[in-house]
Amino acid sequence: MSSAKQSTTWDLQLRQLLLPKLGHEAAECEDAIAIDKQASRFAVADGATESFDARNWAERLAQHWVQRKSTLTVEEFRDWVATEGRELHDSWNSLTLSWYSEEKARYGSFATLVGVELDLNTEPLSWQAIALGDACLLQCRNKTLLKSLPLSGSEGFNSGPVLVASDSSLHENSMKSVVTDSGTCQNGDVLLLMSDAASLWCLQRFESGDLDVDAFLSVKSDEELQEFFDTERMAGRIRNDDLAIVRIEIKWSKS
Amino acid sequence: MYSAQITRANPTCIILLIDQSGSMGDPFSGDSARKKADFVAEVVNHTLHDLVIRCTKTEEVRNYYHVSVIGYGRSVGSCFSGELGGRPIVPIAHVADYPLQVKSSYKRVSDGAGGWVEIPVRYPVWIHPTADGKTPMCEALTRVQEILRGWLLEHPRGFPPTVLHLTDGESSDGDPNEIGRQIMSLGTDDGTVLLFNCHISTRRSAKIEYPTEETSLPDGFARTLFEISSRLPTNFLAAAAQLGVNALEGSRGFVFNGDPSSIVQFYEIGTSLTGMTPYRWMDDRTELA
Repeated sequence: MSSAKQSTTWDLQLRQLLLPKLGHEAAECEDAIAIDKQASRFAVADGATESFDARNWAERLAQHWVQRKSTLTVEEFRDWVATEGRELHDSWNSLTLSWYSEEKARYGSFATLVGVELDLNTEPLSWQAIALGDACLLQCRNKTLLKSLPLSGSEGFNSGPVLVASDSSLHENSMKSVVTDSGTCQNGDVLLLMSDAASLWCLQRFESGDLDVDAFLSVKSDEELQEFFDTERMAGRIRNDDLAIVRIEIKWSKS
Repeated sequence: MYSAQITRANPTCIILLIDQSGSMGDPFSGDSARKKADFVAEVVNHTLHDLVIRCTKTEEVRNYYHVSVIGYGRSVGSCFSGELGGRPIVPIAHVADYPLQVKSSYKRVSDGAGGWVEIPVRYPVWIHPTADGKTPMCEALTRVQEILRGWLLEHPRGFPPTVLHLTDGESSDGDPNEIGRQIMSLGTDDGTVLLFNCHISTRRSAKIEYPTEETSLPDGFARTLFEISSRLPTNFLAAAAQLGVNALEGSRGFVFNGDPSSIVQFYEIGTSLTGMTPYRWMDDRTELA
């Protein structure tokens, strides 16, 4: 008598949080999250507060990333960012703008971006990521930090991150800073995609060995995640900035 | 100190105090074509433009700043006119909406492929050059103090006000030391008022920028202005460094015998504040046509 064949698949347990700065409306949040669980593609983008139509640009970048099917190369990235940028600028042509909006629009929009694609058909599960600026991907295993990109530590953060410009004539230097990377995951690993304030908070806690990280990594729901960061904000332990967090916990699922 | 986030709920205040005495109608030394008053008005208009752009969120201007431009010469009062006339201090969104005129011009920018293209740009104007009368510096500083007292009653928290004072000569109505000190004693929970002074000269004299001590200063007037100049907080030092200006820990926000480039840098450093990415970082590929 033969036993029924048991297959093992990967299950992705997702948590997400998108919060505007304290004192701001949700509609004023310039961070963006995009998720396509079917395609296992995830992105976080952070529109530069001082640029024109930053929220729209961040959303376009994040959405475009998760909707793509192709592999990761910097050349491809450069091409589709240029296309998205042209479309964004075209969308402004029909607007009647004040002198100051016109001036601001002339410089275009800017954002940081991190995107990751998981391949659930490999053993072990593999990931590929692309990132520019200070929105980061962190891979955690057994509550320790395995990898962080594009910035590997808190010392890499400053007030002038590299940004993806909507105006492709500004890509010459920024595209040199695009980071692509890949890796594999084990059962129980947690991948975190986060905009700058949350990335910095998390890296600083890993560096100092602070137990808060354990609580953060163990949250069971989106509501718990929000409660956690509400507490951190009220205590002044995290910079008052927009927050975008996608937490992907990777689990074996036997069927 | 000097680290509070500037928000609409906790805005900051910027006062531009401008000497408009008769001598401002004289040219800079070595540049007979350029009157000081003309150049200062141009820089002030550009500074207001930059402050507006920093606060522009797509189609809205957020009131992170409340702005006052006070002139002194034949009289002391707000330099704003038109819709803004008669108001000593106005939210930046009102500044944005009510320039006296908006000039159009062209700017040459890189096309990203080694060439240049000309694009249309707008230059709003809020103040016109004025040069008339004496130098009632004490009366002007007293007016600034009144504005600050009123503003601070409503805004006791947040990034403290910044006063950028530009003059080309000595006070004609007494010693400004006492009133200057009184202004510097006001403040918010994030620090005392920042009073910075820029003296510009018609004579060919060596300029002194952001000194740390008064021993290098040539006379009593320079020492007086030094004493009523605040130390540059860390964020301002960083802005100075970005501009290639040699300012050190302990440097005062003070320029003596400044030239046109000193004035531009004085306003750029003085409005760098905190938590605001300098607008000009996006502008490094452009040049005026």
